[in-house]
Amino acid sequence: MSRDGAPGRARPGRARPGGAERRLLVEILPPEGVPIRFEVAGLGARTVAQIADILVTFAVLVVLMAVLFLSDLVSLEAVIAIGALLFFAIRVPYYVLTETLMNGQTWGKRLTGLRVIAADGRSLTAHAVTVRNLLKEMEIFIPGTLLLATTSLDRLTVILLLGWIGILLAVPLTNAHRQRLGDILAGTYVVMLPTPVLLPDLAEQPVADAAYRFLPHHLDHYGRYELQTLEALLQVDAGALSRIAAERHRANLRKVAETISRRIGYETHVPEADTEGFLLAFYRTQRAYLENRKLFGDAREDKFHRDTDGSGGARG
Amino acid sequence: MSVAQNLIRSARFRAEREADWRRLEAIVTKAERRGLKALGFDEAQAMATLYRQAMASLSMAREISLDRALLAYLEALCARAYLAVYAPQERLGGMIGRLLVVGIPGAARRLFPLILISYAIMALGGLAGWMLFQNDPTWYDTLMPAGMAGGRGLESSREELLAVIYSGQEAQSGQLAAFASVLFSHNARIAILIFSLGVLACVPGTVLTFLNGLTIGAFVALHADRGLLYDIVAWLSIHGVTELSAVVIACAGGLHLGQAVLFPGEVRRRDALRRNARDAVKLALLAALMLVVAAALEGFGRQLIQDPGARLRTGLAIGALWVVWLGLSGRGRAGRGLT
Repeated sequence: MSRDGAPGRARPGRARPGGAERRLLVEILPPEGVPIRFEVAGLGARTVAQIADILVTFAVLVVLMAVLFLSDLVSLEAVIAIGALLFFAIRVPYYVLTETLMNGQTWGKRLTGLRVIAADGRSLTAHAVTVRNLLKEMEIFIPGTLLLATTSLDRLTVILLLGWIGILLAVPLTNAHRQRLGDILAGTYVVMLPTPVLLPDLAEQPVADAAYRFLPHHLDHYGRYELQTLEALLQVDAGALSRIAAERHRANLRKVAETISRRIGYETHVPEADTEGFLLAFYRTQRAYLENRKLFGDAREDKFHRDTDGSGGARG
Repeated sequence: MSVAQNLIRSARFRAEREADWRRLEAIVTKAERRGLKALGFDEAQAMATLYRQAMASLSMAREISLDRALLAYLEALCARAYLAVYAPQERLGGMIGRLLVVGIPGAARRLFPLILISYAIMALGGLAGWMLFQNDPTWYDTLMPAGMAGGRGLESSREELLAVIYSGQEAQSGQLAAFASVLFSHNARIAILIFSLGVLACVPGTVLTFLNGLTIGAFVALHADRGLLYDIVAWLSIHGVTELSAVVIACAGGLHLGQAVLFPGEVRRRDALRRNARDAVKLALLAALMLVVAAALEGFGRQLIQDPGARLRTGLAIGALWVVWLGLSGRGRAGRGLT
């Protein structure tokens, strides 16, 4: 795939068919020039983070008010008035400071594993954080507080208010990166923080090589997609499964092994007890074969022998 | 490192580099948990090198490897390392200092024409409010929001109005603070509305500023009608110079955003908005700061100073301070890159 966008411009994209689930991805181009993909945060997780943040600010507020009240410096009305003032004045600074000093995370975002990143692949600036949080005031808090007071509003205002909220909700739901208005203006995305987990390399595990020999005509049937699906199946840790699930897993392996044998025309009988050994040997040989072909410019996406994106298979 | 010769190419690739990736993962985790400052010199240096190596590995793995476990791991590791390496390195003090010395005054100077226009809009509103009141005093009830008047209506006599203007000494400090904070949040909300509604092609922000002017015009006209023009101007000026300027500046910021929507020039509207947001946001911050100062002046200054002449002078002096700060600060450094 040729890099068609200007440097620093992220492209929208769905997860490729290789991934089991269809996830919304953003691609960031850092100065190193190797694009990195992030999963866009869902609205559910963002709402949870937002609620957590409101609770945090509210807790801070309550503590401050309690201290003021107990210190006996000011009267009760004054405490309530100051509280109302502070609740207003504490919000934007809280979000701006946490997101700047904690690298794109408020406490709520840290809880839900979210993060704000800059769309241009550079570091997140204080300016961007300020913009997105000032607009949050208009997008969330002002309509929110008005909504709580709907009983005291006349009908026209309520209709206008609902229209306003509807439009503001439609913005993140309709755009490709789930950006709200503040994100668009600030040039930021909210993404899930990926967890690096390194599973063992299946090609490295000791296999009784001599037991199964595959010839080139055995290996011409499958492509990347099938290979990686097989890998996902073999990566399942059978020891961690319940008895019934383990049983089903074993049956699956058997079925896959039989399907593969049939499809590639493999004559030697595979004993029931050694299904996994056969699959591992096949996986390993098939991977070596496909990687070799890929190096020679013959990338196979799947068993229909589609090229990856019509070019030599360079992805990203 | 002994790497078995019978491994296939991508497995060999992984075996050779895995230790480095693990090390990077450990450093990045530490940096995420305890901040970049917690890293020692060696670790910080290693992080930069290992990060670039991992990025190169990712680039190569995408080309040669079909190992999904490896690709998923490298994608996640590089993403996290990228976020750790390019974390914002701002210090709180430096950030605020730069904003106050260069950022805000610079933005105010660049957008000076818009600020003038906003003043004109509000003055026009004030004039209209004044004239409406002269035509028919019952306009006062229409123009004045019920909560804002503080019991000062058409029926109020001269003495009642006077009592409110010079009420400071008897009132309790708690009530004053409460009153000021109510007014503050009212005005702050107005300012935020005016600012953010500017995005909608300038119209709602302009209308709101005009309405604000109308209210003030009618309010002043009521007092002038009772022969209290000088007193009410003095009463308003001590905080109003700052507070009304804050609303005006918020309006100017909103207009700047609206400008991007109306006249994006040769870029897309979205990019124009992003460009104009840089200065507009600084004006919004300035407005917020001015509102806080105005609330303090209103809550305390106005009650402490009772003489109309002194009130007027204080208000104007504070106005002059704003002008000096915004006009002169950071002039020499204006050309350098700002936040």
